[in-house]
Amino acid sequence: MSLSNLIQNWNSFRTRRPYEGQYEDAPYKWAMVIDLDSCIGCNACTVACYAENNLPVVGKERFGKGQAMHWIRIERYWGADEAKATEFPERGAEYLPMLCQQCEAAPCEPVCPVGATHHSPDGLNTQVYNRCVGSRYCSANCPYKVRYFNWWNYPDRAWPNPLELQLNPDVTVRSKGVMEKCTFCMQRLRAGMDKAKTEGRILADGEVLTACAQACPTSAITFGNWADKKSKVARMWKNQQVDLAKNSQEKSEEGIRGYRILEDLNTYPSVVYLERLRNLEA
Amino acid sequence: MKKSHTLALYADMDEAANALKELKSSGVSGFRMEDVVVKSPIDHPELSELLGPRPVYIQWFTLLGVLLGPTTGLVLIASAQASFIYQVRGGRPVVPLPPDMVLTYELFILSGVLMTVLATFVAMKLPGNRSPLYNASVSEDKIGILVKAEPQSIPQINEILGRHKPLEIMGDQAR
Amino acid sequence: MSHSVPSRPQMDVQVERKFVPKQKDLGADVTWAKINKDVLKSLEKPRPVFWVIFFSALALFSFGVYCEVYQYQNGMGVSDLNNPQVWGLYIATFIFWIGMGHSGTLLSALLHIIHADWRKPIYRYSEAMTTFTLLTAALFVLVHMGRLWQFYYVVAYPNERWTWPNFTSPLVWDATAIGTYLTSSLLFLYMGMIPDLAICRDNARGARRALYRFLSMGWQGTDRQWANFKVAYMTMACFLMPLAVSVHSIVSTDFAVSQNPGWHVTSFPPYFVLGALYSGCSGIITLFIVLRYVFRFEAYMTQPILNKLIKMTFAIAMVWTYLDLIEYATTWYGSDEVAKADLVYRATGDYALQFWGMIFCAMVMPFTLLIRFVRTNYTTLLIISLILNVGMWLERFQIITPTFAKSHYPWLWTAGWFPSWVQWGIVAGSFGWFTMLFMLYCKIFPSVSMYEVKEMVHEQNMEEKAHATQTEVHEPGLLPEMEGGQA
Repeated sequence: MSLSNLIQNWNSFRTRRPYEGQYEDAPYKWAMVIDLDSCIGCNACTVACYAENNLPVVGKERFGKGQAMHWIRIERYWGADEAKATEFPERGAEYLPMLCQQCEAAPCEPVCPVGATHHSPDGLNTQVYNRCVGSRYCSANCPYKVRYFNWWNYPDRAWPNPLELQLNPDVTVRSKGVMEKCTFCMQRLRAGMDKAKTEGRILADGEVLTACAQACPTSAITFGNWADKKSKVARMWKNQQVDLAKNSQEKSEEGIRGYRILEDLNTYPSVVYLERLRNLEA
Repeated sequence: MKKSHTLALYADMDEAANALKELKSSGVSGFRMEDVVVKSPIDHPELSELLGPRPVYIQWFTLLGVLLGPTTGLVLIASAQASFIYQVRGGRPVVPLPPDMVLTYELFILSGVLMTVLATFVAMKLPGNRSPLYNASVSEDKIGILVKAEPQSIPQINEILGRHKPLEIMGDQAR
Repeated sequence: MSHSVPSRPQMDVQVERKFVPKQKDLGADVTWAKINKDVLKSLEKPRPVFWVIFFSALALFSFGVYCEVYQYQNGMGVSDLNNPQVWGLYIATFIFWIGMGHSGTLLSALLHIIHADWRKPIYRYSEAMTTFTLLTAALFVLVHMGRLWQFYYVVAYPNERWTWPNFTSPLVWDATAIGTYLTSSLLFLYMGMIPDLAICRDNARGARRALYRFLSMGWQGTDRQWANFKVAYMTMACFLMPLAVSVHSIVSTDFAVSQNPGWHVTSFPPYFVLGALYSGCSGIITLFIVLRYVFRFEAYMTQPILNKLIKMTFAIAMVWTYLDLIEYATTWYGSDEVAKADLVYRATGDYALQFWGMIFCAMVMPFTLLIRFVRTNYTTLLIISLILNVGMWLERFQIITPTFAKSHYPWLWTAGWFPSWVQWGIVAGSFGWFTMLFMLYCKIFPSVSMYEVKEMVHEQNMEEKAHATQTEVHEPGLLPEMEGGQA
């Protein structure tokens, strides 16, 4: 049975992804755009993520040891060289919200020994907690280091009574020894897609948002269905001349800000960042 | 008719070789050269030559192992990948050939080794093979010649074996 | 014919020198019966220091078990691993132990294939070392797992959910390769031991006799058994050598297949294999000296054999050095700026001490083996062999830690990461576990191959005989010919 399956579908089993037109017929492909020019580094997205996805607050000591669990983190850089503000260096901070890039060719996926992480048909990089044995190879191979490991049994301490009542019932509380990461708020997407399916349609643009996109006060995060060519996120990708299946983007003119991080590693991320504009004279 | 056994112990390979030579050329009836067994602490190519061809078939089992192991292994791996609810990982093909080759290679070695070991134990008749006559000194420093023959030929054989300075002759009819 | 000899005395000396055999591997007093006696004695009453070693190893191992239980109950966090440093000492020591095993196979398989007879007295314990280092390495696979209790997910077993391990993962290759290697080397060790187990059976009493009787399975040393045994043993050896090479190549793909700077290197497989042979050879030297003393194997573990072992180690050390330098060179002259920065960071950054420690211990120290005093004195040699292995352990450490500390993503560039006492405890415990198992093995099973040393003695005697007849026949013939040439 499996042998005939193997022979019949040989071509599809031998296809490399992503390829041009991969999501042409697919109903969904989730993607994101983050405008660094709008980001003010307020950490609202991080807080929203903690609340939505039952992330444990690890405490000062463990944070200092590098064992924090922030699925989305605000990275603060101080511009280098000519971009560095000389007169008021503290004004030179640049923020970059970093979350799982949901790479189309994710380096974390092929190395997992048990297949706990793989690609979903709607373009998400999923993590199966039940299957994870905690070899941490995915984290070792992730160039963005956005995978977080449950070094401790966090539920023991993270939500002392009655705080456990604020946990999101739609999201698993992870136990020690499993890897986890940003899911693009999978539980919201799932619920939305199911509802739309029942009603015989596909989700409208903006009907479902990730917690971070919802919470962002400056609307720096745009989330949506990339497979829907009329969605905001798909239009932004197009305007920024970022192609999903290419590992280097050609721009037709100066001033187009869209880029993907560490594209040259052939990861094909689903998150586009818009470069920050700076007025150095100001 | 039930056959008898006799076992002669020699201190030296050369004496054992001479005894074998004479046994072979003696033309004593009632035993075959195939029933002569040499027991020794080490391998002895020079004595084996005298015993005549005693073919070893292990390599055919090995061949079987190295042919069957990797082919079934590759098919099993590839069909497992294909039936694993079709999971795409890292944009690679679902049935990627280079990684599968790695595992196929390991299975090639593993099945070869296992078949060799299996064949060896079958060929060496292990476990078991409790021979009627055994002396612990053949595992130390003596060479033993065990002959299985018709009871009436045993005295003749014992005489031949006795001509080459054996340390001891054992068996049902040993003097 | 021989009348010409006295007239040319200096010529005579030259000819003789040419035919003087080199120092024999074994002394002339070694007989078959003595081999049995000496080796069987090692199973009975070793020197008291055996118990010192055994119980200190047991103590170390117990501490390792305590650390592991502590980590199991509290979570991996107690090891102070964190987001970029996800592997730490566990994987470094894992590679160290896997590597240690390879030289056992080199001695038992490759040298068997090429008929290098000097291996015979020392291959058995090296092969046992292979088996036990693999068992130790397998521990680290389990120890570093976040959910140890689900380890069987990595094994391909049929189940009702139709879920399989991910066959593209280097970790699954690892598991398969180590499983194959452990199975094969265990069978190889066992098969090679059957004639010796029969010897033990013939000489033991009580419970031991029952054990050896069971394990020797009725081996009687018949000619058919020997003929099959030889073919099978050679076939196994031919399987084991490429297997050993493939195992450490596969372990190197844990790194070479990933895209981290400093790991994504094409020359990693040969580099790892040679590193494995290197650390394994120095491990064999260490155990050579220890066993020689503890079990009184002075007659079998002799200077000529040790000397050959040292030569081999030195040669392997030089090839490893070359491959290490070539790795740096390809990175340095390559176009991958991140990898280059990583290389510079290794040599000058937070882990420079470990880096230069490795260079000193593993690249410079082998040259001390060129000094005759160092390589013939057992104390200095013991120290040197341990230093070489410290160097190789540092090599594994500095492959893993600096790469995590400074990989592609700058936000996670961290400095000064240090493993917690739990990690050190488990690493120490692994050394205890290995020593304990190995010492137990040597106490229960013959750690010098009796039948093969007997073969060696037999061959030496035959050679002497042949040499005696050869000098009688050839010398007179040789001299007139030379004379004729000069005339």
